[in-house]
Formats: sequence, C-alpha cells, structure tokens
Amino acid sequence: MKKNLLAMSLVIALIPVTANSSTTINGFASIKAGITTGSDEQLYGYDDTLDFKNESLIALQVKSDLGEKLSVTAQLLGRGQDDFDVGFEWAFISYQLSDNMTINAGRLRTPFYKYSDFKDVGYAYDWLRVPQGVYGLGFDSIEGLTFYRTAQLGNIDSTLQLIFGGYDGTASLSGTQVNATIDNVAGITWELAKDAFSARFAYLIGKTSIETTSVSLAPDFTVGNLYQALAANGLSPLVTAIDIDDESSNFTGIGLTYDDSDWIAVAEYTRVEVENSFVATQKNWYASLGKRFNSFTPYISYERENNDAVVSIYQPYTAVLPPQLLVPVQGLVASQERDASTWNIGVRYDFHPSAAFKAQFSSEDNDTLGQRNGLLAFGVDLVF
Amino acid sequence: MLSRNLAIVLLLAASGTALPVVADIAVIVNPANSTNLTTDELTRLYTGRSSALAAVNIAESSPLRGQFDEKGVGRSSAQLKAHWSKLVFTGKGTPPLELATEAAVIEHVAQNPNAIGYVDASSVTDAVKVVLTLN
Repeated sequence: MKKNLLAMSLVIALIPVTANSSTTINGFASIKAGITTGSDEQLYGYDDTLDFKNESLIALQVKSDLGEKLSVTAQLLGRGQDDFDVGFEWAFISYQLSDNMTINAGRLRTPFYKYSDFKDVGYAYDWLRVPQGVYGLGFDSIEGLTFYRTAQLGNIDSTLQLIFGGYDGTASLSGTQVNATIDNVAGITWELAKDAFSARFAYLIGKTSIETTSVSLAPDFTVGNLYQALAANGLSPLVTAIDIDDESSNFTGIGLTYDDSDWIAVAEYTRVEVENSFVATQKNWYASLGKRFNSFTPYISYERENNDAVVSIYQPYTAVLPPQLLVPVQGLVASQERDASTWNIGVRYDFHPSAAFKAQFSSEDNDTLGQRNGLLAFGVDLVF
Repeated sequence: MLSRNLAIVLLLAASGTALPVVADIAVIVNPANSTNLTTDELTRLYTGRSSALAAVNIAESSPLRGQFDEKGVGRSSAQLKAHWSKLVFTGKGTPPLELATEAAVIEHVAQNPNAIGYVDASSVTDAVKVVLTLN
C-alpha cells in the first residue's frame, strides 16, 4: 500500500508545473460491499461473507494541458480485488486537430459499450455496477490510436470514433487467468444524440490469441495435454479448429438511450464472435429503466446472456475420436455454454453534491448450471 | 388610501416569506459579443457539446448555481456533475471554470470577449451584455 501511494505521489510530483502548462488533478472512488443471499451462491466475486474489497476502487487522474492543443492524461487506478495495487488504466497524449477533431494515442479504453469509457466511474451512472451480462467480456484497455470527430447533422449531435491498436493482457477462462492478445484491432463507433434520445453503434475486429494450454480439464489433464493427444492421433485439423490462435474475431454493439432528466431508459445488445475456436458466440443484452425523484433514482434492469456451445466444430470427428479424447473435447466446448438471465433492482441517492449512495439487489438465474444466485450490494460512489 | 398601501405592503411581505426567493437569472456575455443565444445553444455550451463560447459557472456553494442548472441547462446539479464526470475521466472535456462570486463572473465576462456567464438579473452592470433572461 505504501508503494502505491509512493507511485501516485511520484507521478504527481513529476508533472511539470510551468507557466505554460495547466495541470488538473481529479479523482473518483467507490467503496462497495456485498453479500450473497445463500451459502452456496457466488456472484460477481462475492460469496456469503460480507466483503468490502471486491468492487471498491480509487483513482487519481492527472491531466496536463501543454498548450498548442496538446495534452497528456494519466489515470491511476487501484482495485480492491487487486489489493489496491495501482496501475495505469488510461495513459495517453491528446492532440486537438481542430474544434471538432481530436486524436489520442497511448493506453485507451476499448470502446465496446456505451459505458465502456467510464464504467469505473460509478458516480457517472445510476446503477451500482454496469450490467455484467454485457460488460463482463474483459479486454478493457488497448494500446493504440483513436480519432474522434464530432459534428452537428441538422439538430442531431454526431460523434464518430475510429480506433486502432492491440490488446496484450489476460483473459479469464473457466476461472483461470491466462495470457491473451488481440492483434490488429480496428474499430468504429458512432453515436447520435437528439434531445432525450441517443443511439450508439460499435463494430470492432481483431485477431485473438488465448493461451489455453494451461487450463485444466481434469486432474493432471490440461487443454495442452488434450491438443498433444489429438495431434498424436493425427487430428491436428481438429486442434486448429478448437484452439484460439490468431483467430478472426468481431464485436458488434448497439445501444439506445432515452434520458429526459426524469425518466432514464437504456438498452444495449452485443454480439461477440471468435471464429474457428471453441469460444461460443455470445449474444447478450440488457434493458434498464429508472425514474428520478429529486435526489432518489430507483431503477430496475434485466440482463440476458445466450452463448450456445459450438458443438458443430467436433461433429465431423465424433466417429473417429476415441472416447477418451471425445469426452474432453466435448467438455471443453460445452464449458462455453451459458444461458443466464439476471434481474436487478436498486436505487441511487444523491446525498451529497459529490457523492451518491447506492444499493442494488441482483438475482441471476443460470439455466446452464440450474443455479440461482442472489446478491445484495451497497456503497458510495464519489468524485473529487 | 394609507391603509390600502399598507395592505399591499403586508401582502407583498407575506408572499415574500411564503415563497422562496427565486430571482430572474441574466445570461451575460462580453459587450463586444454579438451572439444571438438560444436556450438550446446555452445547454450545449454548459454540457460541453459546444465550445463556441467559454462558459463560466458560479461556485456550487451559491444557490444561484442550482437554479441555473435547472433553468438554464434543464438538469439537476447532481445530474450535471455526473455528466461532466463522464467527460473528465475520459479526457474528453473540462467543466466550465468556477468563480466564487457574481462580481467575479461579471469581471471575467467583461474582460474576456469569448466568455459567457450568468448572474442574478439585479446584479447586472454596464460592463456586460445580457443575452438571455431565465425566469
């Protein structure tokens, strides 16, 4: 913890304070606690012990305007689930090409969703957390370049974003953190807003590799062992069809919002596909409705996840596969099956000009495992 | 006659205590500025969707701030703060400069041809030009 504070103060101390640069420091924090409603239930990293660490976070952002339309922004964020170890969530330089065009380069947020850019800034939205059924994909940051262009089309506000770069980090697979990369990421997002309505469209492509070999399928039997056994049986084409090695991937997202300052309605649909791999195509969506009563905003939302296991990839091989290999192949492919729906009900209470209290109950119905998980969480989001 | 005047004074005094004092708000620009401002454009300026003029706010501690947020921008102060935190923490924008007093707002607008601000309509001086009155 001391090391983290030292890192933060060093970064702040290193920011030049000269006559020509203006530096601003802002921050946000969330202190949240949660507990599941039953002893055999787990959801979003919580179990039946009250936990204050899992979703708590604190961040400091330093932005230095260097003049001549150039600025540098760094956001340091520490998450309770990582023992508050601080890392750079964003770090980029920004150059304003004109009044309505900006280019940023560095570590950026992958613009999958409407709330991607500020999903850690709980104060910016009403929910206790962004809907995990849609936002739980991972691959949050990429290193690269992004270009923004804003325009007014009649009386519609348009924001166009192009992004290029790559992801180099980890992915969660069957509960194991493994190395993952997405190369040659290219994407476009387009948001249109008029009065209370806004619509957003996102499309990204890339080449995904996930190091699955260390993932355990059974005691002393990993995915890597399976690939070796398949290759030894002359089934290399099946390995190629299953593994996640430089596979063409695409993401499509559509979002709609209505916010007239009394009522707020949001819905997003996303589709994720990693071709030529055991990863199931994910088709997820949510819809949310809230109503503001002065300082109180109660809301209700529903999330749906539908990932069908790609059983077709091993079907041509079922006749030739020995059972001791067919069973683990089936198991690996089936592990990606997910059919779940979640109800959330909660409230935001603006009790302070810079802080909001939130409470949310979530109930996930997992049809794949035949299990229901309930979670009660509450906390405070603030900005400073 | 006297008693009728007295009645009016009493009535005014009574209404003054019964209702919260909500003043008209004058949106002010530099006298050199010939902008014709619409309420729509005002909202755009104070939500960061337009940077045609450099908006200034009065500090949150002033009751005028909350009234302007509601009447001028159509949002509660908390909603606007949530909106600006989206822009700040994605590096997309910086909220309007905050000044402590109405006098400071008038001085800032009088000295900056590109500035826009607001004060209580009764505080307006010749140093600035009123482009909109919100009531």
